[in-house]
Amino acid sequence: MAKSVLVVGGGPAGLAAARTLGKLGIPTILVEKEQKLGGRPVLEDYHTLIPRKMTPQQVIGPFIEEVQNNPNIDVKLGVELEACEGEAPNFKVRLSNGEEHEVGAIVVATGFQHFDAKRKGELGYGIYPDVITNLELEQMFSREGKLYRPSNGQLPKRVAFVFCVGSRDRQLGVTNVHCCRYGCALSGLQGSEIREKYPDVDVFCYYMDVRTYGTWEYPFYWAPQEKYGVRYVRGRIAEITYSPTDGRLRVKHEDTIVQRPAEIPMDLVVLVLGMEPSEGTKKVAKILGLAQDPDSQFLVPAEDAGSNIISNKPGVFIAGACKGPIDIESSLSEGEAAGAEAATFIGAKVSA
Amino acid sequence: MAIHERSLVDPERVLRKERLVIDGVDVSGDWNLIILPRVVEDYDLDFYDEVIAQPEGKTIVNCYQCSYCTASCPVHNYWDERYNPRHFIYLARLGLIDELQKRADVMWRCVSCHKCTHRCPKGVLVEEVLKAILRVMAKRGIIEEYPSKKFDKFFMDSVYEYGRIEDGELLFGWIEKQGYQVVKDPILKKPIPFFGGVPDWLKDLAAKPIKNMNISFLILNAKHMLFHPRTKNWNRFKQVLRKVMEEEGVFTH
Repeated sequence: MAKSVLVVGGGPAGLAAARTLGKLGIPTILVEKEQKLGGRPVLEDYHTLIPRKMTPQQVIGPFIEEVQNNPNIDVKLGVELEACEGEAPNFKVRLSNGEEHEVGAIVVATGFQHFDAKRKGELGYGIYPDVITNLELEQMFSREGKLYRPSNGQLPKRVAFVFCVGSRDRQLGVTNVHCCRYGCALSGLQGSEIREKYPDVDVFCYYMDVRTYGTWEYPFYWAPQEKYGVRYVRGRIAEITYSPTDGRLRVKHEDTIVQRPAEIPMDLVVLVLGMEPSEGTKKVAKILGLAQDPDSQFLVPAEDAGSNIISNKPGVFIAGACKGPIDIESSLSEGEAAGAEAATFIGAKVSA
Repeated sequence: MAIHERSLVDPERVLRKERLVIDGVDVSGDWNLIILPRVVEDYDLDFYDEVIAQPEGKTIVNCYQCSYCTASCPVHNYWDERYNPRHFIYLARLGLIDELQKRADVMWRCVSCHKCTHRCPKGVLVEEVLKAILRVMAKRGIIEEYPSKKFDKFFMDSVYEYGRIEDGELLFGWIEKQGYQVVKDPILKKPIPFFGGVPDWLKDLAAKPIKNMNISFLILNAKHMLFHPRTKNWNRFKQVLRKVMEEEGVFTH
């Protein structure tokens, strides 16, 4: 019986799983397709993470360091899972670098990808430079440290957040009907950050409803309004146009509270992107024969398992955003849980 | 030209012209009627800033539009659905002035029962916030002063002058201030009750209690209406009152 574990994906969930396994003294192989560990938050330079308002370096940095320094963990960058044969606890896996390994359990943490805003043509992303995504806004903060309009480099007077771009939308097909779960909260945080640094900039959030669930209600919905003066307007933005006379954008919507159509001038429009399963997630699902949601293609837990990290295939555990939208904090805990679960699956015992 | 779905069109958006030239083309005749679009073109954010600048207006930022206040509001529920505190807060926050103005005729109708304030889950002092909104509207001249303020002033003037009020004078004197025709006695120029243009509903209102009053009380009242008594030593107290009112900045005489 194989005594090592394969972790697929080096993002928050994969790192947490590998770290737990490494600390338990189990030989672990971590494969990451990119050249760097950390996943989306690190690769794409997120600025502040919800819900603890810490930087990716603060949250994920220690995980990366521990994983890299643990002799039990074999980190393989630029490597993907190619094929898998056999049943648990004797999986024979082949990697893209030609290596073959025998592992007792597999943790899948292949994550998500951001929605491509160009698919919503009516929102003008890619046409008007001042229509950006919330990912680009994060990068504006983290890479350049300032807020500006891409068209002229100046500070915008007004910023609009457009909720649910690529989420809860049947027009895109059945693949994007789910809620992205992080967007409302992140917009509240980004709006607060803008208002804190630039008190003269007015921030508007255009929403259908605000889903800052659980304990996120105060820090990411109440505080933006009460403490930072972010304005919430109910109505989904249907179209974004540009007015050459004043060089500003117009957000076209119905204010559903006032029940009137509106075309409000804005300087910068931020599209709040939905989450989709990454290419890696779809690929790994096929290789390992994991159950997927027929609509969204996210991985789904076994039907008879109460815990959501147990996959339909014995010996394979799923953690993080490959199962659907999730925040980084929960990704880390799921990774840890999946790591511990994989350890018990291969029969590892704590020796005195 | 007929307007379809007339009820959906605000009267002030309908423009009728005898002659109409658009882009140099004379379209008079059939095309003499234009309905202006009802698109909101911008927010007036200064309005909101003026509301939160007032101490009573500060809690407007807390509102998350659950409408607990409106559902509790007796004025909304039993008088006119257009009186909607939750909606007024929304309009004020975005500065949708024309929408506020549309409701100017009902906006003073708060009966100050404070159910809204006591029940608000976000701690908005709804009643106070609405007064702050009204004050900004009045300052901008988009709503008339609170009608009951006329009565308040008459009441206050009476107290300031005599140290007390007289019920009869308050009622019939105020009626005169409201612009009704009243008959006055030729010597003291005081209004004579129940004569002149006093409306019937007021006559009924006043007559009911009078029927049950004893005669000497009625005579006393009539006497006081003619020769308004003053509170003892009122002139001395009036000086003090005046000073306090001047210091507080509420002196209006």
